Amino acid sequence: MRDRTLFVLILAGVVLLVILNLPEPVSGRLKGFVRDAVAPLQLLVVDISRQGQETIKLARGVSQLMSENQRQAGEIARLRLRLNELDKLEDETLKLRHLLEFRNRTPRRLIACDVLGRDASGWWQTLRLDKGANDSVHADMAVTTPEGLMGRVISATARTCDVLLISDPKCKISAMVSRSQAFGIVTGNGVTTQGQPVCRMEFINVDRRHPVQNGDEVVTSGLGGVFPKDLQIGRLENVKVNDSGLYAEAEVVIAADLGALDYVFVVAGLSPGAPSATAAGPAAEAGAP
Amino acid sequence: MTLLVMLLVLLTGAALQALLPGWTWLGGAQPPILLALVLFYAFAHSRGWMLFCALLAGLLQDALGQVPLGFSCFCFGLAGFAALRYRDDVEEGAWLAQMVFGGLAAAAVNLLLYILLRHADAVVVSSALALRKTIGSALLGALLTPLVFRVVISLERQLGERPASREEAG
Repeated sequence: MRDRTLFVLILAGVVLLVILNLPEPVSGRLKGFVRDAVAPLQLLVVDISRQGQETIKLARGVSQLMSENQRQAGEIARLRLRLNELDKLEDETLKLRHLLEFRNRTPRRLIACDVLGRDASGWWQTLRLDKGANDSVHADMAVTTPEGLMGRVISATARTCDVLLISDPKCKISAMVSRSQAFGIVTGNGVTTQGQPVCRMEFINVDRRHPVQNGDEVVTSGLGGVFPKDLQIGRLENVKVNDSGLYAEAEVVIAADLGALDYVFVVAGLSPGAPSATAAGPAAEAGAP
Repeated sequence: MTLLVMLLVLLTGAALQALLPGWTWLGGAQPPILLALVLFYAFAHSRGWMLFCALLAGLLQDALGQVPLGFSCFCFGLAGFAALRYRDDVEEGAWLAQMVFGGLAAAAVNLLLYILLRHADAVVVSSALALRKTIGSALLGALLTPLVFRVVISLERQLGERPASREEAG
């Protein structure tokens, strides 16, 4: 009995040592295998949870649902009209670009993804999505919602991918203020005690003629090669400028709802025209845990 | 059958742990369902089953997050051994004992994981937040562990793995 116990302990120790010392590619493949194997179950649990939420909502008021449907139908009609207008404008713009011998920018493809879950350990601010390499989702693709930027893909297996949220301290984005065109770096700053995810933006060499202000809209600059240009990140708050007036920092209230387990979109096919990191666009769009 | 039940509860527990939100006022602590399952197998089954459960639960937790593979296996294994060490001193089915063990184990695993991750330079979290998360994990562990015990005991009874007359784990 004592020998058997000893054998089990030694075996467990050896297995643990082997797992801890697996080479990176092997441990990555093993993790990917487990992730892909669990993904269908996660999707099932998410579906059940979502259906439960829908049932509760339905029970709370069918009339409210009907009026919401009507409102949404109106919104869809309005958006369709707007889309038609934008299609025409896009055609016109493409023609003009062609005429001016600008680079032909193909529209970006959006891949709709379902959120499977969060980081199970709680140490990182990441999400797992139900699309992976089989759906042409790869690392370093931007992830967005209709409200704004969510993060970027940090790893992808065949059927899932992990997204590092913009509020994670390891996520850095080259950004700019749309009003003043002031460039800066947005870094994740975690979540406040009220549960609000926030980022911090740092500006170097602020143009004194166009100072940054509270409420300014922050968008991606497109520099750095990871995030496409003009994706909304959020709005500035608590802007602080140092005595020299050249350096400023501010909090960014994130536009997207990072806590919602809903559909998100991976932005596929970054425009080939996107320049790589430059002096103006700090080369720090990075941050894989 | 024990293996099938273990796989079922571990997979479901992992999916739930990844789905449930982390409470921000508890430092973003996730409900430690997988750890509670390891504690259950430590209290109610043999050392071998506990070790196997710790290994699988650790692999699942690491694979479902960004933790380097093996870290959680190590932490869960230690927590399981601690539970094995004291299980004879604990009255069977005592909610309070399960709560205390669940809380202490969750706090210890969280703290150990933080130390390992900081040492590996894998995480950027302030010590204050880590402390809040540890306290949060302890609270959630204390609340969840007796619940998880009851659910698995009930499942084992339904599947004939445990005699119906036996009231509690052990």
